[in-house]
Amino acid sequence: MGLLCSRSRHHTEDTDENAQAAEIERRIEQEAKAEKHIRKLLLLGAGESGKSTIFKQIKLLFQTGFDEGELKSYVPVIHANVYQTIKLLHDGTKEFAQNETDPAKYTLSSENMAIGEKLSEIGGRLDYPRLTKDLAEGIETLWNDPAIQETCSRGNELQVPDCTKYLMENLKRLSDVNYIPTKEDVLYARVRTTGVVEIQFSPVGENKKSGEVYRLFDVGGQRNERRKWIHLFEGVTAVIFCAAISEYDQTLFEDEQKNRMMETKELFDWVLKQPCFEKTSIMLFLNKFDIFEKKVLDVPLNVCDWFRDYQPVSSGKQEIEHAYEFVKKKFEELYYQNTAPDRVDRVFKIYRTTALDQKLVKKTFKLVDETLRRRNLLEAGLL
Amino acid sequence: MASGCAKRGGCPSDYVAVSIAAICFLVLLSRSVLPCLIHKAPRNNSSSFWIPVIQVFSSFNLLFSTMMSINLLQFKTKHWWQYCYLWSVWVEGPLGFGLLMSCRITQAFQLYFIFVKKRLPPVKSYVFLPLVLLPWIFGAAIVQAKRPLDSQCHMGLEWTLPVAGLNALYVLALLAFTRAIRHVEFRFDELRDLWKGILVSATSVALWVTSFVLNEIHTDTSWLQVTSRFVLLVTGGILVIVFFSISSHQPLLAQISFKNRQEFPRMGLALGIHDSGLLFRKEEVRPVDPNEPLDKLLLNKRFRKSLMEFADSCYAGETLHFYEEVYEHGKIPEGDSIRRIYMARHIMEKFIVAGAEMEVNVSHKTRQEILTTQDLTHLDLFKNALNEVMQLIKMNLVRDYWSSTFFIKFKEEVAMDKEGWSLSPPRMSLVQGSDDPFYQEHMSKSSTSRYSSPS
Repeated sequence: MGLLCSRSRHHTEDTDENAQAAEIERRIEQEAKAEKHIRKLLLLGAGESGKSTIFKQIKLLFQTGFDEGELKSYVPVIHANVYQTIKLLHDGTKEFAQNETDPAKYTLSSENMAIGEKLSEIGGRLDYPRLTKDLAEGIETLWNDPAIQETCSRGNELQVPDCTKYLMENLKRLSDVNYIPTKEDVLYARVRTTGVVEIQFSPVGENKKSGEVYRLFDVGGQRNERRKWIHLFEGVTAVIFCAAISEYDQTLFEDEQKNRMMETKELFDWVLKQPCFEKTSIMLFLNKFDIFEKKVLDVPLNVCDWFRDYQPVSSGKQEIEHAYEFVKKKFEELYYQNTAPDRVDRVFKIYRTTALDQKLVKKTFKLVDETLRRRNLLEAGLL
Repeated sequence: MASGCAKRGGCPSDYVAVSIAAICFLVLLSRSVLPCLIHKAPRNNSSSFWIPVIQVFSSFNLLFSTMMSINLLQFKTKHWWQYCYLWSVWVEGPLGFGLLMSCRITQAFQLYFIFVKKRLPPVKSYVFLPLVLLPWIFGAAIVQAKRPLDSQCHMGLEWTLPVAGLNALYVLALLAFTRAIRHVEFRFDELRDLWKGILVSATSVALWVTSFVLNEIHTDTSWLQVTSRFVLLVTGGILVIVFFSISSHQPLLAQISFKNRQEFPRMGLALGIHDSGLLFRKEEVRPVDPNEPLDKLLLNKRFRKSLMEFADSCYAGETLHFYEEVYEHGKIPEGDSIRRIYMARHIMEKFIVAGAEMEVNVSHKTRQEILTTQDLTHLDLFKNALNEVMQLIKMNLVRDYWSSTFFIKFKEEVAMDKEGWSLSPPRMSLVQGSDDPFYQEHMSKSSTSRYSSPS
């Protein structure tokens, strides 16, 4: 737009058009002024770190939420998730049966074999059928097969989505003829984001209209998606960096040689080094705490190279806290390594989040909002 | 005088030879750099970029070291940098002729694997090239250790013959690879280029080796000295130019990005895959029903274009570009394996390889499956990747598309077209079109949608 206008100003001599150009210029200025009040927030982070879940939560919390039509539009997505997940588990089981020393552990019972093959075939299709009661029963039988369960416990080696258990436990409801997804279903649904999506919102609710207006950008997190990020880097008020702390024993979707946590570390490092973000607040969401607290008691943190020096101290809740604090400290260290004291002109906050937990996200966002407004006042010299 | 300058260097013919070599190198440099500057070819980090660069580098080494090592120029005092072993052994051998030939062999090796073995080379070119170069490095190290050179930088017969043998061996290796791919019917004259390259290099190597041997052995015959080194440098100059000009490596890239960008904006067109028969005009006007399956919807070119514009606007366009090119790939007849290979390689390099220009968001497994395929001509090579990408389009882009302005615009266009189709002769809309600021864009992007939007 700006380009178009400046070009027309250069090429026209006609006074009429000049007046028009001036008008356009004025409008742009006006718009820019209005835009100035809108704070730009970016959701960044590696793939499957929970950016889009946060994004959906914001939609639910501070916008009108999802109406029935929108909820219904998630039916194919959720059904696709079911088919893809069961295919993944089935194919994974087969692979393990071939490569492991104990193939019996990963061999499906003979009657489930046929079901598995059929479901795997459906999962490989381009268009999935609607999930019927029959199919759902088949999936449930297969899911309960010990071999599939065994495979699922090694889910970190496959690319099994976090929502697997949730989907499988709700199969009956999902396959109902009149099924309408709940808010929770929508939050659990896994859709790999590609490109850029944005919404505008004001976190203060309807009774108080004077709050800040935010424009939130959600992006894809896989490597190929990250090169699109730079288009958004200018004039950012705050970056919300999502790090899935539960993924310390998983590998990347796009590169199975690479540990997800190591990638997150490098990515966070890269984000902090961006010249564009020298004055941008960094809000670090240590996300997926719900999975983390379950996992950390079974899988020691030091399986990840970055946490190699971790020593577990106790058990139970204390141990979870200890592990979390350790991870938090690692990220803190990384931040301060990349923020030279002479340009510490940005705010850095760490939040413990579970993107699926609506109350927690609401609370966190209130805090983020407060921090950003405070900083705004500080900058204006009012505080 | 003759005997004096024959020994010390600086005869008139020597200066002529040096100027010819300098001109040769300048021509080579302009040929390699100018197309990039004029056409602003995108620079990528693949071997197709680095191998020519290395060729230019080694060409310079070859010419310059030849000049330095055979006393062409007369220097009043001996400088430390005129060290014989540096020029006539290291720079001339491993960094000059050896490197130049290794580049060529690498290219032939790649072609051999892709078109004869029908899979990607098992060794990356940045590994293969140093491997091929190894014998030269060993050779140079042996010479350095045994120190056979005299004060005039000449080595005796017992050393000259093995060195000439090594040179000839590399020409033979190139010949062998070329023989292996002689049955392949290349689309872009790779084979003819390769044969030409071999012919030229074999001739000049023969000439070169002869003069090299004469120059090395008959150190006391002054006319022979002067002539042979003249021939040596001039042949070297011609060799590097011709060698570079006959590009057998990825001529396609050159075809598409330099010469025929206007004619062949896409690989599919360069290979002669036409988009005709995809759609009839009547179908194009058909309104789009969001409930139809995506693969059916995408067959509608108009719709596809609108969706692509939408996807581009939210930085997710690579998905649809990938769909289009895989679609074209699928239209190549099964028996036409050569065209399939070209197209498959093109798609891999543009969409699949990690870090590619338009890398698509697919899983590690799918990417590895494609890159390690044992059959580049396989019909379902991209099936899984396309499946993943289609899911991405379906769950992500299309959902947002229905509520975007792009869809509204598309619907309007279709409605307008319907009227235009029944009321006015086709030419009318062309006239209308010229008023439309987007008209130019439409026309340049797609040649078939002649009915541009009179919005």
